[in-house]
Amino acid sequence: MANNEEPLVKRADGKKGLTKHDLNQLWYRWNFGWFSSSSYEKLESHGFAWSYIPFAEKFYKNDPEGKARLLTRHSQFYNTEPQVGTVINGIVAALEEGIALGDDIPEEMPTSVKTALMGPLAGLGDSVIQGIIVPTLLSIGMSLASNGSPAGPIFYIISWLVIGVAVSYGMFRYGYKMGLGAIDTLVGEKSMRLMDAINVLGIIVVGTLAAGKVAVSTVVQIPYGTEMGALQDTLDGVFPGLLALIVTMVTWWMLNKKQWSATKVLLVLTAAVIVLCCIGFL
Amino acid sequence: MSNFFPALICGLFCYLGAIEAFNPVGTTGSFYCLGRPLVAGLIVGLAFGDVTNGILCGVAVQAVFIANLSTGGATNSEITYASYGGIGLAMASTKDPALAVTLAVLVGNTFGLIFYNLRMAFYSVFNNKALEAAEKGDGHGITIWHMIVPQICTFLLRFVPTFAAILLGEGLVNTLAANAPELITHIIGVLGGVLPALGIGMLMNIVIKDKIQLVFFFFGFVLLAFGKLDTIPVVFIAAVVAYIYYLATSKAAAAAPAGSTQSADAAYEDADLF
Repeated sequence: MANNEEPLVKRADGKKGLTKHDLNQLWYRWNFGWFSSSSYEKLESHGFAWSYIPFAEKFYKNDPEGKARLLTRHSQFYNTEPQVGTVINGIVAALEEGIALGDDIPEEMPTSVKTALMGPLAGLGDSVIQGIIVPTLLSIGMSLASNGSPAGPIFYIISWLVIGVAVSYGMFRYGYKMGLGAIDTLVGEKSMRLMDAINVLGIIVVGTLAAGKVAVSTVVQIPYGTEMGALQDTLDGVFPGLLALIVTMVTWWMLNKKQWSATKVLLVLTAAVIVLCCIGFL
Repeated sequence: MSNFFPALICGLFCYLGAIEAFNPVGTTGSFYCLGRPLVAGLIVGLAFGDVTNGILCGVAVQAVFIANLSTGGATNSEITYASYGGIGLAMASTKDPALAVTLAVLVGNTFGLIFYNLRMAFYSVFNNKALEAAEKGDGHGITIWHMIVPQICTFLLRFVPTFAAILLGEGLVNTLAANAPELITHIIGVLGGVLPALGIGMLMNIVIKDKIQLVFFFFGFVLLAFGKLDTIPVVFIAAVVAYIYYLATSKAAAAAPAGSTQSADAAYEDADLF
């Protein structure tokens, strides 16, 4: 076991770099305060600066100007997905360690790395976390909770915390270890194929959500010979969930083809439900 | 005032589950965990001493908010206010899941978004102070203007409205629910079943990158609607399908040079536009 007080990377020049404790602190402070003072103007900027305060105290103790420059460059605009995006924090930690110890790294380098990577990683992170992992775990949790059982929420809390923390910490350490090489692997062809495959899993789960969570049934009565019967019973016999599928596809069409905002779609759906209820269809 | 304690808990968790709140495990523990309606249902249920109904409300609300998205700081609906305000108010009154959905959507898309956007606009003032501190190399200044002051404001912005709404809104919601004409109750019930389509449509928007992938969407739909399978076996089947897909694309990538498939795709997409 590596000692917490020993630097993780042994440098040829004998200078002492970041210890495991320093790194954990950088990661933890980012997690804790990344969005605290967010505004539309600065978003995650100051969260990054705040995570570097102990680092600044340790490595710039006798260099107030260097410290001010460090904290200022990490107060610039920054915005990415906070969990997958920790790979950027890791890469920047490696760069800042080098700068603090006098390596030949320009001080603009961390800023350009952050600016260049925050967009792509926000896209990657949002689609994996918000698009696939969270909805998949939630749909399992919802199915376990459908009779009101606490097993559902408890399953979600445990499984998500384990996965979420592992992703966040793993990406951070990976970024620190690999430096800029981490990005080549992340956006490389093989990992893109893997992403596509995980995406397929996400799409199937979304299909089950549409079938399980959208509930639409008509109250229309149609004549069966001399008697009246429910149209819904006939529909269920031919294609269960047909109305739910139609509603979902129309909603997707409004969002995707028409590019309407979620609020607009919400209003359209509400208006449509009111009209269809009033004419006695739903 | 019988709801004093539950209202207190709802207000507190409306802060703890917020995307910008202090949480020991960061956003992983707040926004993505405590902030989710499924989890909120458990907590609100415990606070009101009725776990089963709390969770049933939580599941219903979760379906609508399954694709709550926060990208670039902008959000389509404030999920934490929706969770604790909506489920809390429903639990304080009729405990009906369909009512919880309507209240959650109402709270999340109006009051919640207003408070959220107020904060996102106003905190620029604190950002400027934090930047000034950084330029002086003043770590304490950053802590005050990035952490302490914004957290106090956030706490007030989240705790006070939620606490007050549940404490004072109970009577109003009860009166409205008791006196609403049958048509209105019917519409609220139908809306509870239709609104999940919005969240699911938004998820489709993220994960479906090519129309051909709708095949997988229909596959999932059919497994549940016709196959009557539960979600858990479907996730296993989906994982196997995803693995086969990965193997197949790996083979295809090895067989064909990457350049030629790319240009064919580009031509196809162009033709697809019109």
